[in-house]
Amino acid sequence: MTRYLGDEWTLPGINDATRAWFTSGRLKVQRCDDCRTWQHPPDEICGGCQGNRLSFAECGEAGRIESFVVVHRAVHPALEDRIPYAVALVSLDDAPGVNAIGNVLNAAPDELAIGQRVRAVFEEVSQPEGGEVLRIPQWELIREAR
Amino acid sequence: MQGRAAVAGVGESVYYMRGKSPDSEFQLACTAIRNAVADAGLELTDIDGFVSYMDQRNDPLRLAHALGLKELRWAATTWAGGGNNAAGAVQIADAAVCAGYAKHVVAFRALAQGQFGRFGRPRGIGGRAEGDMAWKAPYGLLSPAQECALHTKRFMHDHAISQEALCDIALACYANAQRNPRAIRYGQPLTREKYHASRWIVEPFHLYDCCPENDGAAAIIVTSTERARDLLNTPVPIVAAAQGLGPKYGFSAFQGRWFPGMFYTSVGEAIWQRSGAKPADIDVLQLYENFTGPVMMTLCEMGFCAPEEVESFVADGALEGPDAKLPFNTAGGNIGEAYIHGFELVTEAVRQVRGESTCQVSDVSLSLVVAGPGYAPGSAVLFGVL
Ligand SMILES: [Zn+2]
Repeated sequence: MTRYLGDEWTLPGINDATRAWFTSGRLKVQRCDDCRTWQHPPDEICGGCQGNRLSFAECGEAGRIESFVVVHRAVHPALEDRIPYAVALVSLDDAPGVNAIGNVLNAAPDELAIGQRVRAVFEEVSQPEGGEVLRIPQWELIREAR
Repeated sequence: MQGRAAVAGVGESVYYMRGKSPDSEFQLACTAIRNAVADAGLELTDIDGFVSYMDQRNDPLRLAHALGLKELRWAATTWAGGGNNAAGAVQIADAAVCAGYAKHVVAFRALAQGQFGRFGRPRGIGGRAEGDMAWKAPYGLLSPAQECALHTKRFMHDHAISQEALCDIALACYANAQRNPRAIRYGQPLTREKYHASRWIVEPFHLYDCCPENDGAAAIIVTSTERARDLLNTPVPIVAAAQGLGPKYGFSAFQGRWFPGMFYTSVGEAIWQRSGAKPADIDVLQLYENFTGPVMMTLCEMGFCAPEEVESFVADGALEGPDAKLPFNTAGGNIGEAYIHGFELVTEAVRQVRGESTCQVSDVSLSLVVAGPGYAPGSAVLFGVL
């Protein structure tokens, strides 16, 4: 699978904070074991109850476009042949208050609108250097049947 | 606070386009500080404190030795962030002077991007994206312009705001810069047609919605209002200053609690509560425009108008020139004068109280600086008259 911004484009560093989101192939968000607050990005203390019993819980794959921008000026040479590209902010239906950055893979920038329904898809990146396989959450418009 | 400390002097280096300064960043800093000291009628040996903000490379001990200080009683910087703490630095100087820890504190900012590389360049690319960038860079969200555009897009959608509102803010900065020979954009007027014809950087920001990047330095001297009375220039008292709560980093700012927002509501509340003033009392406003969209949002959060009113609030030249409904960024601001991370807004706010602006508003008694929107903690400082 070719990534939205090209296979050579920057990948996320994988650590305890990012592993669940970028490798599980599911939408997994940090949640407090005690007060059930969703917390994104993850941290070491729950901002809801100040507890430190936190784990990653799975959300459903449906979301909504809260905002988006269309990038016309590449700020890195590797993106020169990718412009114009769009970056969206997507809210997760199952985790109120949690928003994710992503790209909408099945739509041109000028097809996007705030309020559109999307579902998660995953860009799989196997690591040539032998690191962990990444499954980067991305989005697809749910197109209305005509 | 409450006018007990005051700005006794202001100074700047020459402002240059990014990478064009013949002087190093440290030399620029020293020039601005020397100019501010001379403006106050002080000697360098009177200075006993330094405050700055951001990733300030010109550390206070190096400055103290270069400038021949006899004492260094106060050295401090704000936490992280960017231009959001341009006014927070003044607040720290104010606190030090009011507490009596130091007598003459310099607050300043210097940057030379030819020497140190561009501040606005995207970080976290080349290799893996770490920290805050891990959540953004893999998706191509890399620069402050793109992040602020994401907030602005939603705000415009929610409140039915057109592109003209952004244009009006850019036009005001350019128009005011035409009166200021120090301004980088002096002699380069902007028209509505030219604005709309300019290329997109990241929708909804055209080229002219974005401030340039510059080299230069600006500084002020904060001392007690009592001491300042005996110096060369009219003291400009610090009436109130504030920092405020906001999200942790850029990506946290996109979460439901904060999005869309510029994190200035609590800063505004503190300024109005501490000063007893209200937005309508402000005679002249300097508001950090990294980009035009955040200006519009911050005007609303500070209480100048409601989101539904902001398009008409900025329309028809309402921000332009000394006789504007709300005189704004009267030296040209980041967009028109120079991007010294907002410290050029602080020096301009002081000049307005002293009656020395190139776009002088008449009878200024309250002159407000609102620092960089979109990154936290935000900050603001209100200057008054004796
Ligand atoms: Zn909790």
